[in-house]
Amino acid sequence: MQTIRNFCIIAHIDHGKSTLADRLIQRCGGVADRQFRDQLLDTMELERERGITIKSNTITLTYTAGDGQTYTLNLIDTPGHVDFSHEVRRSLMACEGAVLLVDATQGVEAQTVANVYLALEQDLEILPVINKIDMPAADADRVLEQIDADLGLDPFETLQVSAKEGTGIDELLETLVAKLPPPQGDSGAPLKALIFDAEYNAYRGVVLLVRVFEGTLRPGQMMRLMHNGAEYEVEEVGLVKLEREKQGELSAGAVGYVISGIKAVADIDIGDTITEVSRPAAEPLAGYVEAKPVVFSSIFPVSSDEYEELGKALDKLKLNDAALTFQKDSSSALGFGYRCGFLGMLHLDVVQERLSREWDLSLLLTAPSVEFHVTTADGKEHVVENPAEYPDPAAIEQVKEPYIKGSILMPDRYLGTVMELLLEKRGADTQFHYLAVGRVEVTSELPLTEVLFDFYDRLKTITQGYGSFDYELMDYRATDLVKVDILVNAERVDALAMLVHRDKARARAIHACKQLEKHIPRQNFKIAIQGAIGRDIIARRTVNAYRKDVTAKCYGGDISRKRKLLEKQKEGKKRARAFGNVEVPQEAFLAVLRSDPDDK
Amino acid sequence: MTNRLAPPGLYIHVPFCARVCPYCDFAVQTGGPRRRGDFIRLLLREIGLWSRLLRGEGSAPDRSAGQGSHQAVPSWRSEQPFDTIYLGGGTPSSLSPEVLEEILAALHGSLPIAPEVDVTLEANPEDVNTGNLRSWQRLGITTLSLGIQSFDPDALSFLGRSHTPEKAGAALRGALESSFETVSLDLIFALPGQSPMRWEADLRRAIEYGPDHISCYELTVHEGTRFARLKERGELVELAEDDKAELFLLTHRLMAENGYHAYEVSSFARGPNHRSRHNRKYWDHTAYLGFGPSAHSFDGVSRRWWNERRLPAWEAGLQRVPGASSGLGTGASGRFGQSPIAGSEILAPADLVLESLALGLRTTEGVDLERLRDLYGIDVEGENGALVASLRRDDLLVDTSPASLLVPTLRGLAVADALARSFEIPPATAS
Repeated sequence: MQTIRNFCIIAHIDHGKSTLADRLIQRCGGVADRQFRDQLLDTMELERERGITIKSNTITLTYTAGDGQTYTLNLIDTPGHVDFSHEVRRSLMACEGAVLLVDATQGVEAQTVANVYLALEQDLEILPVINKIDMPAADADRVLEQIDADLGLDPFETLQVSAKEGTGIDELLETLVAKLPPPQGDSGAPLKALIFDAEYNAYRGVVLLVRVFEGTLRPGQMMRLMHNGAEYEVEEVGLVKLEREKQGELSAGAVGYVISGIKAVADIDIGDTITEVSRPAAEPLAGYVEAKPVVFSSIFPVSSDEYEELGKALDKLKLNDAALTFQKDSSSALGFGYRCGFLGMLHLDVVQERLSREWDLSLLLTAPSVEFHVTTADGKEHVVENPAEYPDPAAIEQVKEPYIKGSILMPDRYLGTVMELLLEKRGADTQFHYLAVGRVEVTSELPLTEVLFDFYDRLKTITQGYGSFDYELMDYRATDLVKVDILVNAERVDALAMLVHRDKARARAIHACKQLEKHIPRQNFKIAIQGAIGRDIIARRTVNAYRKDVTAKCYGGDISRKRKLLEKQKEGKKRARAFGNVEVPQEAFLAVLRSDPDDK
Repeated sequence: MTNRLAPPGLYIHVPFCARVCPYCDFAVQTGGPRRRGDFIRLLLREIGLWSRLLRGEGSAPDRSAGQGSHQAVPSWRSEQPFDTIYLGGGTPSSLSPEVLEEILAALHGSLPIAPEVDVTLEANPEDVNTGNLRSWQRLGITTLSLGIQSFDPDALSFLGRSHTPEKAGAALRGALESSFETVSLDLIFALPGQSPMRWEADLRRAIEYGPDHISCYELTVHEGTRFARLKERGELVELAEDDKAELFLLTHRLMAENGYHAYEVSSFARGPNHRSRHNRKYWDHTAYLGFGPSAHSFDGVSRRWWNERRLPAWEAGLQRVPGASSGLGTGASGRFGQSPIAGSEILAPADLVLESLALGLRTTEGVDLERLRDLYGIDVEGENGALVASLRRDDLLVDTSPASLLVPTLRGLAVADALARSFEIPPATAS
């Protein structure tokens, strides 16, 4: 056990975590060169493209150090976005130490700070490392200052590497085995193993990734999941190297996999504790948090005959994504679809992209919403996240909405405009403090719903990409909520309805009307687009009838080209939904959910 | 409508221009005497090949060349003589009268040509002079189509034309004083920033000369042209749809007031005898046979094929055809093997119906749905009753007495593409 080191890498997106992981794997011979792909640990196509690690992956490496000892290094690859903080937390729980990786050209980001605090909460030993020192724009001194001032870590213990060039990797490995503590625990004690990840495998069912804290896991044991009570027989245990490597047992301190006939990831809870049925532990490991969706949106197929396919796709995604929830939904405008729950906006983005990319589905989404707590005059409490279920305003006594504590890290030159943005987003108790010269952290208590629309884009634009954002849920507070309806030629389009603060109603309605005006193609009659609260019209735009739509020159005999163009345009019409006789294309639905770049 | 019995037309594409206009997306290029000489030699060869094919000589299309490729092999079904010859381009007027004569002689000598054939020559104002006018008449050119584009000096320079308004006027006057059956001119409108007043002045100037036929084309920015690149960079801003519509309506009003009858979206004639007999064949699925790079052909029933677009590929295709005994064969640059033909398709009944709608709704003759049903077994009327009613109510189609005849109003002409798109085309039923 003294030769085991369990650690993870904490880094902001693009700071080079995957590249560093690749170097460590290569250096430790975990993978033959011909098998080597860059950024090996990010398996999904989407992750590669967006540079985001969605599922955490783990790999066991063998390293012979300068002292002649051979060490087992368990690298736990943590996910990198705030939507997934519970995933980050349970990955951290499996470790004794963390490599904190900071980009020498970018510096410390808000999310990195949040993750460092999470790591400190788990009492991890943190090893600061500055990456990309080979870049011309690298400013290691400034980053050292941030590590000292922003994070309170020792700049003198900070290593400097270039994962891309492979420089500093040996020193990093030596420091790792020297500085990070070995795991503790008693292999003979009653079994306690943490499930920190799970992956669905079509042949083997669910493969659990576990960290054993106490006792020993062996095939043939009957195991129990302490939080949900389910019992399974352990079929196989082993180490995750480049491929799974079967072992006779996993004892205290080890990180590895367990296969036990579990059918779906949804059947288990990440963060749950495994114990032995015949000799159970007294209590589960601490820190278990149920992953609950906080953002909701309905997903409809553009073409109604893809409804079944959408259901199948969601089922498949759910196999690997326990945090995703969905149930059948229907809209008079869009027909059948699914009401889905997400951990946050990134989770929503990821699910949406995977559905369209991996399943080739064209989708329409409704405006993301949060859960509102509504008290009606009869004293009843309702949890409402779907505008369609919003009670009659006359019967509403009080509405509460969720608040978050948001934190923004950025250069201080953007302070003024960011404060304005927070004000506009109904931020309360907004404060800022200097972390270092020229660098501030702004904190604000914000309604979660304000972050769902237009916030990330605006922040990014305002700070020219230098601002980073992180948040955690706080509490519920009273609010003045209204339901805004959108009408197309006097027909209410339920899928475009949204629940917003009264002060924002007009602006959001105008935005929606403008986007629809922009994206609904002209038809042979005028189309009125209105935003309304109840019977009051608060916004109005018009799409004029088309007046000119004919090719000037149609000869030379190339009529085939003309026909093919018409066919293509007709095909485009099929990607639209008809409301009455108005065709609203998919882009129009999507544009309503986005901020308008032309507005800024 | 498919009209197997109607006399077919001939098209010759002359790809050469002195320079390439920034709006033009036709197959054109510049080229000196040597290239032009090669082109003519191969054009005559192409005419010769078709001549043998039409007489049933030469090898039948090579069916063994590839699986299924026989479907794509062109054939000719019309037994009628050709009654139009259209020399287009490019700038066919830049060919010397002697060369034009050679081409026309080859056509007359080897293909069935009707005695009353209408021969159109597209001409640039620069090429119009007394000598050429006399030669063209002697060669039997009946319609002279002048690429004037504008009488406004700013517009001409924007459009990259090398002639002046004065030269255009002189050319037009000269042509009108000769005894062509029809003198036509092309104009382009809806230029960036063009006001209705400015366009009206331009158009009035054209009308004052009193040509027999005027084509008024809205400026279209085609992909791959210089204008398209300017537009992409934001250096060319097209007029808004509403402004284009206004100019379009203005054009039609002005033309009607001056005795020019609109018979198609962009075509106006002073009398039915001055309408383009050749272009009409494209619009009603009459057969036409095209020679030269990029030329398209249609067999009058269901088959359309097209030559290699670029001159070298077309030339190579013809050079590979073994001289004496050959027919035309099997394909495009590699795909078809030894032939100038780049591709072909067989139009399904639904394709023919969509084209008939798209083309018919561009003309003041309109489209007869009953005829479409008889010809192709597709009942457009039954499937689109509500649509037709609403288009009539919205004043996009004329409320004509036979319910099955769709005739666009002026507003309908302006949105003919949208009208054509709005029809559902049901599958053909066995008739």
